[in-house]
Amino acid sequence: MLCTVYILEQSSVTVCASPQLLARLEARRCLKDIEPRLFPEDGGPDQGAVVELFGLEGTGKTELLYHLLCRCVLPEAAGGLEVDVVFVDTDYSLDMLHLVSILDSKLTLLAGADEAALRSCLSRLLVVHCYSSSQLLLTLHFLETTLSSRPALALILIDSISAFYWVDRCEDGVSYTKQEEKLSRCAELLGRLLRDYRITVFATCHAIRRPAVPSSSSDSERSYLCRSWQRLVTHRLLCSRQKPGNNVAGEGGDDQEQRRHQIFTVHCTTTSSMVKASWSSSFCVTEAGVEFLLESEENKCAARQ
Amino acid sequence: MVVLREGMCPGLDEDLLRDLRAADIKTVEDLVSSDIEGLAQKCSVSYKALFAIRRVLLAQHTAFPVSGADLYEELLSSTAILSTGNPSLDKLLDSGLYTGEITELSGGPGSGKSQVCFGVAVHISYQLKQSVIYIDTTGGLAASRLLQMLQAETSNTEEQMEALQRIHVFRLFDVYALLGCLYSLRSGGLQQASVGGGSVKAVIVDSVSAVISPLLGGKQNEGMSLMIQVAGVLKTMAKDFNVAALVTNHVTRSGSGEVQPGLGVSWSHIPRTRILLERVEKAAAVSRPSLRSAKLIKSSRQPCHIKEEFDLQWWSRSEKGSSGKRKLDETDS
Repeated sequence: MLCTVYILEQSSVTVCASPQLLARLEARRCLKDIEPRLFPEDGGPDQGAVVELFGLEGTGKTELLYHLLCRCVLPEAAGGLEVDVVFVDTDYSLDMLHLVSILDSKLTLLAGADEAALRSCLSRLLVVHCYSSSQLLLTLHFLETTLSSRPALALILIDSISAFYWVDRCEDGVSYTKQEEKLSRCAELLGRLLRDYRITVFATCHAIRRPAVPSSSSDSERSYLCRSWQRLVTHRLLCSRQKPGNNVAGEGGDDQEQRRHQIFTVHCTTTSSMVKASWSSSFCVTEAGVEFLLESEENKCAARQ
Repeated sequence: MVVLREGMCPGLDEDLLRDLRAADIKTVEDLVSSDIEGLAQKCSVSYKALFAIRRVLLAQHTAFPVSGADLYEELLSSTAILSTGNPSLDKLLDSGLYTGEITELSGGPGSGKSQVCFGVAVHISYQLKQSVIYIDTTGGLAASRLLQMLQAETSNTEEQMEALQRIHVFRLFDVYALLGCLYSLRSGGLQQASVGGGSVKAVIVDSVSAVISPLLGGKQNEGMSLMIQVAGVLKTMAKDFNVAALVTNHVTRSGSGEVQPGLGVSWSHIPRTRILLERVEKAAAVSRPSLRSAKLIKSSRQPCHIKEEFDLQWWSRSEKGSSGKRKLDETDS
């Protein structure tokens, strides 16, 4: 036993010279407090956590990502965390103009904010576009150098991790493992990056099946991606959209007004080995991005530890 | 998947390639993900040389991170909003079709999808003086209808012909032809089409569901894969060349009888903006059979489910008030 410990120490001493480890030793910002309203108390994503945002089209996944992205790149004076973020855009869906309008609305709260403040926010963001799972894998490898040269980089956003699912399913013959190979390689590499650089990952995953019966949570919510990805995920955010007319606030209210305030619900489950917890929150989307609604009674019931 | 070939980068010669193959390293992904130190020993090549090869290959095939500030700068100078020519539709779309995005029109037969596409093509080519790629997969494009719309805009025959020349029509009827066409457009065809007119600002596919929906269903995944490939090439083309993509889709009914766009859940993530077109079923509509309603069902800019009514004859109206006499061509598919 003593012997193993000794060897482990030895090997880490030899690696110590590499720049990777130096970057590792420099403390990266922990993102546990990235959005307290989204996660159960004290259950925010720690360093090395992977959060999957799962849902159908139009359930606010990308909007939530923008919200988190803004929170990270905004200066501390405007309630941000001032960390660097990589946005991996596999869906080719990043709407920069929308992102800037969200940033703008948050910056105007800050006295003396100008164009330069916006630019400095945006310079904390790195964007990569990937068009195939092979390119995603190679890009992740390439990002390792970026990670080791930028200690302020604490978050990787992937929109979406499921983008190449169908193309991969068809490409490599009949063997299921062969079809999943690329994504599982990406997941394994991500796992190593998470360990080595203590970063946090948020990734969206599109639902590919419509729920057969509304409000039944079975097949349609199950993850269909490869096992190695599922093992990485520590938090799962199930996104859904409340049917217009279903919400309490809409009762007797103006029909048009109600439609404008489409309410989205997020249900968070943490799957870390320590505690199992769940949490619900809801938000609506305005010009200024995501706006969380006040905690409702159901939330208190849902938060069980 | 990129297969390793001789001469891909300096140092990657025949002998090394053979040794790598023997070690089951066949693609760039294999090489990049492998343990370089162990591999160098196995292939009896120096660690330094192999590491250099890995670095060059990685740099050749990776997507480079771009700073958000630079991206924003670039977008500000390149993004355009193309008016559809119809104020009601523009209102729904937050002033028009955005370049770099996919916009979808869905609707049942006769709901006016193709008519809207014609109108948009004519407006962009005549008013905005830009080129349009029109991919017709149903055989529903009638040049005479385009001319009719142009005649409502101008009586100058030369201008009409110029505008028609800026609309490049591709007729194809299966998904492989569509993919081939889109790939060739992406690799140079778009610039060629720009020669002699304005640059290409819009790619219209009418209809995308006509070639994809026959492949879906059953236990095969091939249809899904082809669908995502079509989506992928449209999206990359829209982003890289700054063109607006406009596609049309059919409709189906959900379990609860609600009308929804076709092609299923996986496709639903693809278009940025979706509009559902429907006939107006009202007493008032009897006298105006060309009246349609458009409902915004997906958008990142506007609240969803807002509705607008518009007249399909809008594009063929003329200031002289002769539009009432013109019969609407109802060969929509």
